[in-house]
Amino acid sequence: MSQLEVKNISKAFGGVKAIDNFSFAVGQHDIVGIIGPNGAGKTTAFNLLTGVYPLDSGQVLLNGTDISKLPQHEIARAGMARTFQNIRLFRGLSVLENVMTAADPYSPYNLLDVLFYSSRKRHNEEAARKQGSEYLKIVGLEGYENERPESLPYGLQRKLEIARALATNPKVLLLDEPAAGLNPSEVREFIELVKRLHKQFDFSIIIIEHRLEVIMELSSQIFVLNFGKLLASGTPSEVVGNKAVTEAYLGEEDESCLI
Amino acid sequence: MTIQQLINGISLGSVYALIAVGFALIFNILKFSNFSHGGLMSVTAYIGYIAAIVLMNYIDSLPLFMATLVAAALGGGLLALVVERVAFRRLRSNNSPVIYYFISSITMGILLENILTIFASSNFYSYPPFLPAAVINFGKFTIAIPDLLMLFFSTSSLGILLFVLHKTKIGLAIRTMSFDINTAKLMGMDPNAVVAATFFASGVLGGISGVFLGINYTLYPQLGQMIVKGFVASVIGGLGSITGALIGAVLLGVLEIFLIGSVGAGWAPVFVFIIMLVFLLLRPRGIAGVVVQEKA
Amino acid sequence: MEYILSTLTFTGISLIGVLGVYLVTGLTGLFSFGQAAFLAIGAYVSAVLVKNFAVSLPLAAIIAMLTGLLAGLVVGVPTVRLRRDYISLVTFGFGEAIIATLNNSTNITGGATGLSGVPQYTNFWVVLVTVIICLAIVIGYKHSKYGRQCLALRSDELAAKAMGINVERLKLITFLIASVMTSFAGVLYVFYTSYVEPGAFGWVVSAEWTIIVFVGGINSLTGAVAASILLTGLPEMLRFASEWRIIIYCVIVLLIINFRPTGIFGENELSLRRIKQFIRKGAKAA
Repeated sequence: MSQLEVKNISKAFGGVKAIDNFSFAVGQHDIVGIIGPNGAGKTTAFNLLTGVYPLDSGQVLLNGTDISKLPQHEIARAGMARTFQNIRLFRGLSVLENVMTAADPYSPYNLLDVLFYSSRKRHNEEAARKQGSEYLKIVGLEGYENERPESLPYGLQRKLEIARALATNPKVLLLDEPAAGLNPSEVREFIELVKRLHKQFDFSIIIIEHRLEVIMELSSQIFVLNFGKLLASGTPSEVVGNKAVTEAYLGEEDESCLI
Repeated sequence: MTIQQLINGISLGSVYALIAVGFALIFNILKFSNFSHGGLMSVTAYIGYIAAIVLMNYIDSLPLFMATLVAAALGGGLLALVVERVAFRRLRSNNSPVIYYFISSITMGILLENILTIFASSNFYSYPPFLPAAVINFGKFTIAIPDLLMLFFSTSSLGILLFVLHKTKIGLAIRTMSFDINTAKLMGMDPNAVVAATFFASGVLGGISGVFLGINYTLYPQLGQMIVKGFVASVIGGLGSITGALIGAVLLGVLEIFLIGSVGAGWAPVFVFIIMLVFLLLRPRGIAGVVVQEKA
Repeated sequence: MEYILSTLTFTGISLIGVLGVYLVTGLTGLFSFGQAAFLAIGAYVSAVLVKNFAVSLPLAAIIAMLTGLLAGLVVGVPTVRLRRDYISLVTFGFGEAIIATLNNSTNITGGATGLSGVPQYTNFWVVLVTVIICLAIVIGYKHSKYGRQCLALRSDELAAKAMGINVERLKLITFLIASVMTSFAGVLYVFYTSYVEPGAFGWVVSAEWTIIVFVGGINSLTGAVAASILLTGLPEMLRFASEWRIIIYCVIVLLIINFRPTGIFGENELSLRRIKQFIRKGAKAA
């Protein structure tokens, strides 16, 4: 059974069909990429998968369970974690707290523990702190625990978003243009990070990206969106060789620039 | 609901419409609820009063009424410009989050109201009678002349405003900025000038509203708390829409007259609250409002 | 001395209300214009029970708080789903509805002329203990998963939901805690002043509390406490007439907006670590 099965999802805004009958599947512990020209509907697809917009039609199955009609936070708890194209970190919380907060919905103490300052709360908070620091270490943000997220340089903010998503214990991790705005060495660092995460954890990853080297190196499968429709799919080499894809997306570039 | 109640309701609604549109103008362009509008209305009501008292010796009846309106309208416009400069300009240049505009507007409103309280509270003032307290009868229905005049002037002012918004350059600028202030800036529009113009327009409407409220309810510093009616009307009509505010205001006027007739003026606020709550649960975007979907 | 104690008592009661607003507005970002209504509920329910029905004070207080909780549910459940602007309107309407109800129920509440002859049970020490307990609750809440999630949803509701945070439930829980706290403050209030009338609980009071939180620094609990003591206590002690006090509030707020928008304390909190740092710096300079 695929980890994530997306069946014929559609979404229209006003008269414009942003996503038209889009289907794809992600296997267990797989990394796939979604590419397409600007405005093709990639982020809209993510928004549909995570429940930001309700589906007009279609289904989303996570490990066989239909999550299409659930509210956003329950979809997240079911195991769909994401990062955002325009970074959306929590201001007013420290770097560590940003990560801790993502794990908070699962924290086992309750209001009474808070009111009476119970030891259960104290222990759980300690554990949450430790766990949060672990995630920060994994993405390479060790030492930044008490900083304000706004004060971090751009590349580190992107890492924080990933750490935060990790803390939700996902089954599928959705990365929306995670390499946007990174310089070449940061991109290389990012690719290595994803490889490490893939080895260390069990979840599948879906990446939306414009930077082809990221997609090519990491994904086992690529889905190409154009005008909200699935244009092509296949392995990286298949997609790159696909004439229609080249025309729609890579068209302007000289083919010798690829790979 | 009798026809007479309907007529009274529409008349009341027209006053609310002025308030609601003055409020909605600012909401559209700066995306926040301008609670200082209430304080502005109170102040302009008093400005109108002073003008009326002074001019009373020279003119009377309809010309006096119109002169009062003009004085209050101009006063309102100018006061709005001052308010914008003092309370909101710095927030715009600092790109402050919406919360701050909110606080600033409430504070400004309270400030204006309390300044009035200090200088004018001990006495109840009321406008000199401009117009005969006569009524016009048509068939079984009556409408008081003051109400009729207010209905006329409200409709005309709103008509002029809609004309300006849709047929003039500055109106176009205001509407454009209401869509997206940043893109408008990139297109070369001067946000300060356009925002100032919007506030001026809002202040003019506020001034006229102030006088009408003063006529209907006599003058007291808390008069401006009627701004809530404007807010409620905007919400019912749909935040973000001028026509929505208009429709919402008239509906609110009619609803209130009906409620006062059935449950009495004391319980009316309770029922308005309940109805509004139900309405918001069933149709949160209002009658004509735009659904703003947050993008991720 | 008597006068100073009285001022401190009022300041304490007001501070409890401000703490409620801190929870709802500072932590969670909701603007409630009806907080003072809970003060009214607490005051009237307990006063009427004690005076007209000879209920014992502790029982009356508990019933008053439960009533506040119930009212909080009635307003809160629909409100937490609404857009930010609407929340202020609905809570305002709620406040006005409560006042209208109190005004109209002349038989029970004495209507607009108010309820008098309430025995005086509150004294400074009771208020002080309550303030300390409320502070403990708020500090505990802030430094827990609840506080963090509230700050998260205040900062970015969409991202909060995407991280699995049940935004509506958190808003409601926070709102209810504030309701109960403020209701109890109402109980303290009525049994101190021995007299209440509906007009004292209007939206202006809620707005004042919000302004105090803002002046102190919307992100800072210490700021809220400091500002509350300063803005409530000081004018009382210096005997300003109440209209001028409000004008001074407003001018201060407008100044802060323009020149120090994050409030007096900004993001800073008083904490043991900070105090030690401060002392160390001072020792080095000396």
